[in-house]
Amino acid sequence: MPATVTSITPRRGAGPVARPEPPRRPFRDNPRLILVGIAVLIVVLVALLALASGTARVSPDFLSEFVLYGLSAADLTMLAALFFVLARNIVKLVVERRRALPFARFRSKLVALLLGMTLVPTVLVLIVGSELIRGNIDRWFNAPMADVLSSANQIAADYYREQQLVASDHANRFARTLAAIDLANADVRPIRDLLAPDVTQQRVQMAEVYRVVPSAGSLPSLEPVVDVAAPTLPPGHSRAAVDRLAAQALAGASETRSIESLGPSGDLLHAAAVIHGKDGKPSGVVVATAYLTGDMAARSRRMTKAFEDYNQLRVLKRPLTGVYLSFFLMVTLLILFGATWMGSYLAKRITRPVLLLAAAAKEIGAGRLDQRVEPQSNDEFGSLVEAFNSMASELAASRRKLDRGTIQLERKHVEVEGRRRYIETILERITTGVVSLDAGGVITTINSAASRLLELNRSIVGRPAAEVFDRADLQPLAGLLAGVGHGRSEPTAHEIAMARDGQEVHLAAVATALAGEGGAPEGIVLVLDDVTPLIRAQKVAAWREVARRLAHEIKNPLTPIQLSAERLRRHFTGAPPHAKALVAECTQTIVGEVESLKGLVDEFSQFARMPSPRTVPTDLAQLVTDTIALYNGIFADIRIDMRFAADVPLVRLDPEQIRRVVINLVDNAIEAMERRGDIVVETQRDPANSVVRVIVADNGPGIPPAEREKLFLPYYSTKGRGSGLGLAIVRRIIAEHGGSIDVGDNTPRGTRFTIELPC
Amino acid sequence: MKRGAFVLVVVLAAAVVSAAEPAPDITVTPIARDGQVVVSFDMSDAFTPDVRDAIQSGLSTTFSYDVEVRRGGGLFDRMVASLTISATVRFDNLTRRYQMSRTVHGRVEDARPTEDQAAVGRWLTHFERVPVLATTSLETNGEYSVRVRAHTRPRNAWFFWPWGGAVFGQAKFTFIQ
Repeated sequence: MPATVTSITPRRGAGPVARPEPPRRPFRDNPRLILVGIAVLIVVLVALLALASGTARVSPDFLSEFVLYGLSAADLTMLAALFFVLARNIVKLVVERRRALPFARFRSKLVALLLGMTLVPTVLVLIVGSELIRGNIDRWFNAPMADVLSSANQIAADYYREQQLVASDHANRFARTLAAIDLANADVRPIRDLLAPDVTQQRVQMAEVYRVVPSAGSLPSLEPVVDVAAPTLPPGHSRAAVDRLAAQALAGASETRSIESLGPSGDLLHAAAVIHGKDGKPSGVVVATAYLTGDMAARSRRMTKAFEDYNQLRVLKRPLTGVYLSFFLMVTLLILFGATWMGSYLAKRITRPVLLLAAAAKEIGAGRLDQRVEPQSNDEFGSLVEAFNSMASELAASRRKLDRGTIQLERKHVEVEGRRRYIETILERITTGVVSLDAGGVITTINSAASRLLELNRSIVGRPAAEVFDRADLQPLAGLLAGVGHGRSEPTAHEIAMARDGQEVHLAAVATALAGEGGAPEGIVLVLDDVTPLIRAQKVAAWREVARRLAHEIKNPLTPIQLSAERLRRHFTGAPPHAKALVAECTQTIVGEVESLKGLVDEFSQFARMPSPRTVPTDLAQLVTDTIALYNGIFADIRIDMRFAADVPLVRLDPEQIRRVVINLVDNAIEAMERRGDIVVETQRDPANSVVRVIVADNGPGIPPAEREKLFLPYYSTKGRGSGLGLAIVRRIIAEHGGSIDVGDNTPRGTRFTIELPC
Repeated sequence: MKRGAFVLVVVLAAAVVSAAEPAPDITVTPIARDGQVVVSFDMSDAFTPDVRDAIQSGLSTTFSYDVEVRRGGGLFDRMVASLTISATVRFDNLTRRYQMSRTVHGRVEDARPTEDQAAVGRWLTHFERVPVLATTSLETNGEYSVRVRAHTRPRNAWFFWPWGGAVFGQAKFTFIQ
């Protein structure tokens, strides 16, 4: 018996797709009902067989009139049901095969095999059985039997007829004898005497005489006159039958004989004859009755009944054959119907577990691992289902573990990706340059700061570092990288100076070897810091300290020196003129130089103690315009051109300090051009970097690149006079404003100072 | 397929058998007279050897007739009156006499014995002046039809499809008063 399996719903309601449970069919899935159905079928078959065997006790008339119709209707119904079941199964199988459902081909083969195994022998049995029934029924009506029965019936009928004729002869004889007697007035004794001998001698068993009673305006009636009966005549005979026969005879009917059955006692054969008077008119009727004993009558009846039964069977041979064929056909159809249905049912029962397993496997293949098949038997199919379910459970557990691992991995990945983006963003935004190399010395990453500091394009990624850093200004870095990993000490920063756009740039470079878990080298990270501003600040701080000490140390003795010189000049006011002139000249020189030194010390002091800028929102164009206006009419050969960008907003700055910056730069330009040339003062706005620029450009001789960095150092001057603090103060002011100043070549010639201030 | 062929053979055989015998026919003659509609009808070729055999075998043989008087014709006619007449004959092989009877609506109207087989044939198939309804139920100048449907019993029915065998006859008349 195959396993009865039913797929159950997934254990977790939150599964991806909750497949509906296939509906349980109340009959198909209930073995008890199936057994009851089979029992009913068997009972119907047995009842049919019993009915068929009992047909001998049923009249042929009833069989042909009722049973045949009922059986034919049942046969047609069964045939229609069989065709329906067959057609339905065939259509279903064809549809399943066309849809390429799993096991459709196998099921159709199985159904065809089962049907074939049932249909072929059943149809053969039907054909052979039908022929046997026909043959047997034909053999019922063989010629000897018909002759015997016919002869027996003939004998019985002839005997009855003979007895009737004898009775009729006696009746005619009585009528002729009684014609001479006046029945209307005569005494009944002579009539009785006339009839008695025949009765006594058993020629007739009974004689009855009627006389005609005329009635006016209507037919004459009969009146019994006398009846003579033998003592052996059984009681129970009816006078009415004799009266009726007498009336018929008087009426001239052709039927003057009748038979009165006394049941088991026998039959009375009546014969009537009309008595005609002397005038030839009917005067009465005499009825002679012969008696057939019960045995004789019964024997005759049996012979006739046998003959009639035989003939009735012969006459109804066709419908009776139909009845038996119908019985047989019905049994055959019942068997066929049951076999067809059972074949289909068995095919489904066999393929259904496999189908469910296939469907469940498909579901599991589609990822719905909670699909299970419920075993309902302990046979091989049950074991298969159990194995399938445990496989599905293990798959589901593995899948859950895998899902959890995947989720954790995804979280890690997201975290790592976030961290990577974070580091990447930091690397891109920081001013520290970072270059990473793999274990083979190939550059794997370079951030924008490194690209900017080293003036390298990002296309170097993927190229060997040795090739990239072979450039002349980068060779110190190549050397630094070559030395990485040779010592065990912590990496130290190396200051490397290189020229950029004629300016010296100082980089603090640290190369760190990357090691894997086992200590295997995985690459190098080169970190570069632009320490140029720091070095500049250090230099400025040093110079400020120098200036402060210089001012302090020089300024203190200057006043006593000046006072002493003035005292000497006053003391020698009375001295000879040449001495007085000499002293005056010397003291004047001393005082002048002291004043000069005081001015110098004041400048140094001012550089050392420059106040913090007090910024207010300022119109930069207006400030520049006002400042440049100071030069109007002073230098005839100098032309100052101003170009202001329209979108420059108000900038927070200290107007006095910025004015000083502009004056300093314009003064330097005028000096550099030897008071002849063109100066352009320009403002620009750079929204991308949130800065405004003030550019002072001249068309003078320009500044060699080597000297550009030194320009902003204190006490450096190309003019050979002055304190050399102008541009140092300018840089200091700009730095205090959070900006920067840069110097470069002007196009086509000259020098171009660019100030950037935050806005 | 085999069963279908078998059924086809059975049906064809039945058709051949029925074609070999002359088909019975009913001649119907309606008459409206003396305030009555009387119908005479005669079923020819119905007293066949098979029927005679059945009677001679002692089977009670009945010819049953459904007589209907209908108003109008076609699909929308209307039944005005109906009558069921049965003629039954039973032959006693011992006495060699036929016992004949006729019933109308199941009530015995006539019964008589005979030894004449020809009389039996007439008794079963020939009916004279059977009153069906009074003419007061008819409409003047109305078109009527009388349909007679006959059944015989016992029927020598064929296996598998025993139905059928009824014989029809029809006559039309116009009631003119």
